Amino acid sequence: MILGVDVGGTFTDAVLLGDGGLRTAKVPTAARQEQSVLAAARAVGAEAIERFTHGTTAATNALLERKGARTAFVANAGFEHLLHLRRQDRAHLYRLCEAHPEPLVPLERCHGVRGRIGPEGVITPLDLSSLTGPADDVEAVAICLLFAFRDPLHERAVADELRRRLPGVRVVASHEVSPEFREYERASTTVIDAYLGPALSGYLEALGRACGEVGLPEPLVMRSSGGVATLAEVAAHPALALVSGPAAGVVGAARVARLAGVEDAISLDMGGTSTDVCLISGGEAGRATEREVAGFPLRLPTVDLQTVGAGGGSIVWRDPGGALRVGPESAGADPGPACYGRGGVRPTVTDANLLLGRLPDRIAGGLALDSVAAERALAGIDPAEAIEVVNAEMLRALRLVSVERGVDPRELALVAFGGAGPLHACALAEELGVGSVLVPAAAGVLSAVGLAVGDERRDRVESYVRPLEEAGELPVQGEADLRYRGQAFELTVPLEDDLAGAFHRAHEARYGYADPERPIELVAVRTAEIHSGPPLTLPPAEPLETLGPARIELEGATCWVRPGWVGVRDGTSSTLRLKRLSRESAESGT
Amino acid sequence: MELELQLIGASLRSIADEMGAVLVRSAFSANIKERRDCSTAVFDRRGRMIAQAEHIPVHLGAMPDAVAAVRAHDPAPDDVFILNDPFAGGTHLPDITVVTRTRVGFAVTRAHHADVGAVEPGSLPAESRTLEEEGVVIPPTRLDDAVLGALVARMRNPDERRGDLRAQLAAHRLAAARFDELCGRRGKARVEAAMDELHAYSERRVRGGIARLPDGCFEARDALEAAEGSELPLRAAVTVSGEELTIDFAGTAPQHDGNLNCPLAVTRSACYFVVRCLTDPDVPASGGAFAPVHVRAPEGCLVNALPPAAVAAGNVETSSRIVDVVFAAFGRAVEVPAQGQGTMNNLTLGNDRFTYYETVGGGQGACPDADGPSGVHVAMSNTLSTPAEALELGYPLRVERHELRPGSGGLGRHRGGDGVVRELRVLDACRLSLVGERRKRSPQGVRGGEPGAPGRNLLNGGELPAKVTRDLSAGDVVRVETPGGGGFGPVPNGH
Repeated sequence: MILGVDVGGTFTDAVLLGDGGLRTAKVPTAARQEQSVLAAARAVGAEAIERFTHGTTAATNALLERKGARTAFVANAGFEHLLHLRRQDRAHLYRLCEAHPEPLVPLERCHGVRGRIGPEGVITPLDLSSLTGPADDVEAVAICLLFAFRDPLHERAVADELRRRLPGVRVVASHEVSPEFREYERASTTVIDAYLGPALSGYLEALGRACGEVGLPEPLVMRSSGGVATLAEVAAHPALALVSGPAAGVVGAARVARLAGVEDAISLDMGGTSTDVCLISGGEAGRATEREVAGFPLRLPTVDLQTVGAGGGSIVWRDPGGALRVGPESAGADPGPACYGRGGVRPTVTDANLLLGRLPDRIAGGLALDSVAAERALAGIDPAEAIEVVNAEMLRALRLVSVERGVDPRELALVAFGGAGPLHACALAEELGVGSVLVPAAAGVLSAVGLAVGDERRDRVESYVRPLEEAGELPVQGEADLRYRGQAFELTVPLEDDLAGAFHRAHEARYGYADPERPIELVAVRTAEIHSGPPLTLPPAEPLETLGPARIELEGATCWVRPGWVGVRDGTSSTLRLKRLSRESAESGT
Repeated sequence: MELELQLIGASLRSIADEMGAVLVRSAFSANIKERRDCSTAVFDRRGRMIAQAEHIPVHLGAMPDAVAAVRAHDPAPDDVFILNDPFAGGTHLPDITVVTRTRVGFAVTRAHHADVGAVEPGSLPAESRTLEEEGVVIPPTRLDDAVLGALVARMRNPDERRGDLRAQLAAHRLAAARFDELCGRRGKARVEAAMDELHAYSERRVRGGIARLPDGCFEARDALEAAEGSELPLRAAVTVSGEELTIDFAGTAPQHDGNLNCPLAVTRSACYFVVRCLTDPDVPASGGAFAPVHVRAPEGCLVNALPPAAVAAGNVETSSRIVDVVFAAFGRAVEVPAQGQGTMNNLTLGNDRFTYYETVGGGQGACPDADGPSGVHVAMSNTLSTPAEALELGYPLRVERHELRPGSGGLGRHRGGDGVVRELRVLDACRLSLVGERRKRSPQGVRGGEPGAPGRNLLNGGELPAKVTRDLSAGDVVRVETPGGGGFGPVPNGH
């Protein structure tokens, strides 16, 4: 039996897979995550578990709530303020005093060391005696020296020295976590990693112990890349696990799509406060090399999620110019939408869906929905318009991961999940021009499914920043970041014999022109060591064929079949397939 | 607002944003690719700006003049127009603007190129006296391969110029495709209706914001530091009347012999910026937001210069001072932020083999409710810094120091932001052009807040003037200390 447990903000989900069966459970998330994990495992009846994978928000929460370690920062002398200078742009163009998030390390804990490496190597030798900090009251230190992505000599020496001076303190050097050029982004990534280290390793150790006590195997943990790693590996570099849960959702979507014979898709994970979308190509989640988290750049492999600050609990409002808006403010889980009858008075997307007849009177967990309260809250706002506005927000993200990347959405399927995804999928598919929608039976707990079956994955990046022809022997498998010499942004193409040709074609596809005369620069090579996760088998659900408009109840979610669409499950699969009827068949009612 | 039009409006904004992303990502010069000194916009058939990807405020109100200049040439559907003439739709010569038609109007890209063939390498000579000395002047011209080749041949690093222009053209191709698709999906008439609505929507919001300001006439004065050591006075009188306002620059110095002059388009941009900060910082960037704002300046004055005035620093420095003086005028009626660094600290290094341009952030003035941020661009710019690693990989330059300048922000109930210290060592003999302001007059505090520290320019430790052009030898170190912002309100007792 294999077990996946995903801790979310409100609920912790568990799925148990094995012997062709699927069991799921949802328990409220407690203040101590390890207790929620065990409670969910109990609730799903976990025993004789061979593989247990965990998705955690512990790292994200520690960052958002700023409950990480007391961290210091070491840079080259003259660059101590790197974290505070950022890239010199202000937070808002017209709100002049809007502040960027306060750096994780205050100025007084930023230290400089003399010594300098440049593009061609050492310019000034390292002088460790010039490093007078950090004091011994720090819990973690991040080091980022210029050009360490290419030559880590000085960084290694500083790290060794600090590990000697400050035993027991977590010391992270930038080349260990993100050996790529651009010092601010690399420093930011390193600081986040150091800052989260003590808290996350404490949590993971506690979890490991607790699992041992109840006879569960030591959990694997999902990283942002969509691959799982051992507890010790994740504890060593927690910044790699900042989007653990959402990444698991994409993996679940990719695996469910593959079972349905679909390799190219977009995942649509709509929850209470936000929606994540991601392109899936050839059965694999799209990957990005950089993402912003809590206002800080994080340059690490992550599934290429676009996140929209709108979900089922998002507040519907009218702005001063008279335009209808949704989010980013959310009613959250408490009080929740007005129709939950828990004291919420402001209208939400869920209230609008209820008034449009797309939700049942009673939802998962037995909660009765109060349509009178929903109506009172919407107070004259047309619920159909509210849905159109939130759909437009999501459509923007869907277009960003498809049309704007040169991918034709007509060749894709939309995999809809999360509590609210299946309610909006048909309308979004129509707008985007996607022909079919897949809704997994376990739509409400798909992230936990993704955890259970996720591949083990270890990413590696090698920095080059030199002409492609001087790159020498490259690995056979993996990806290369390339650009025309002089450009600042790279295109990532799979490694192949004719790498230059592949780059010209990718540039042409993305920007509408190629320049075969211009020299190409190899910036980085990315490789991954992958061990496939267990196969996914899901029990078939009972066959059905439902013509829209109709509502179909699922595990932890409701699917809305729009007029002109049909929902089909053929009896061999657990996944519901929604298809748009051609005009003629819609009219004849078949 | 009708919902479908609102939704199409969102698509129009997406097109402008996507154009911007393509331009930045495929460009070659550090100034565009690392620092994002560029803007992209979509216009309607009547030449009104409908949506702009917001990178740089100084481009905000100045792009409509470019479209107007091109419309006067009766562009055919497939024509590509290029221009940079400040007196025919441009701002200053380095800002090269490309205009094409779309199914329902125009697409515009504007990017600050690192060199346009001025007397001095780089795009911002400190001591130019006529437009001619500042580079190749391009009146609105139909662009084809031959024209492009001829233009870049007159500039330094023609290969990089060509690459940047191709990046601009890539954004235009994208715009054409996106408009075709949007019109196919929604219908041309609906897209046009949505453009009208987006324009009207922004106008409604800003009118609402202006109506909340007290009526009356408020004026203020400030001055620029001219290269020859004299001061050039600026005067702004703001008249608020109901939902509209007028900003009049009568009393401002006549255009001068240096390059602090600017065309009226730049002056308008700076005024719109202030109005937007004070009325509705979140209004979508469309021309409607500025319909209720009227800007007047006597012809031939510093802020409404006539040919053949040199204008290189007008766009970057004079625009900053216009922001200061207009804020100060509004400050007689409502609470406004203290003055920020008031300069972009333009640093250009170059020879026949390379040209590099950057601007350096400083202190923002404190606001009524918050400290001013440190080390940021404060008004008409918002360009990023070039990473030291990118700079050193691409140019014969080394960053010796890049840090905050503690204590340079003015004290007050809320403190002004601190300036920045930046030291570049040149590894190759080259020319330096440095254009700074607020080297003598400090950024002022408001309501009893203290002033920020003025900026300084140094060469190998020796003081340089605010504006300077000269030769550098390999190994020389240029140090720029940027001004701090002013404080807001008196320093509380006991501090």
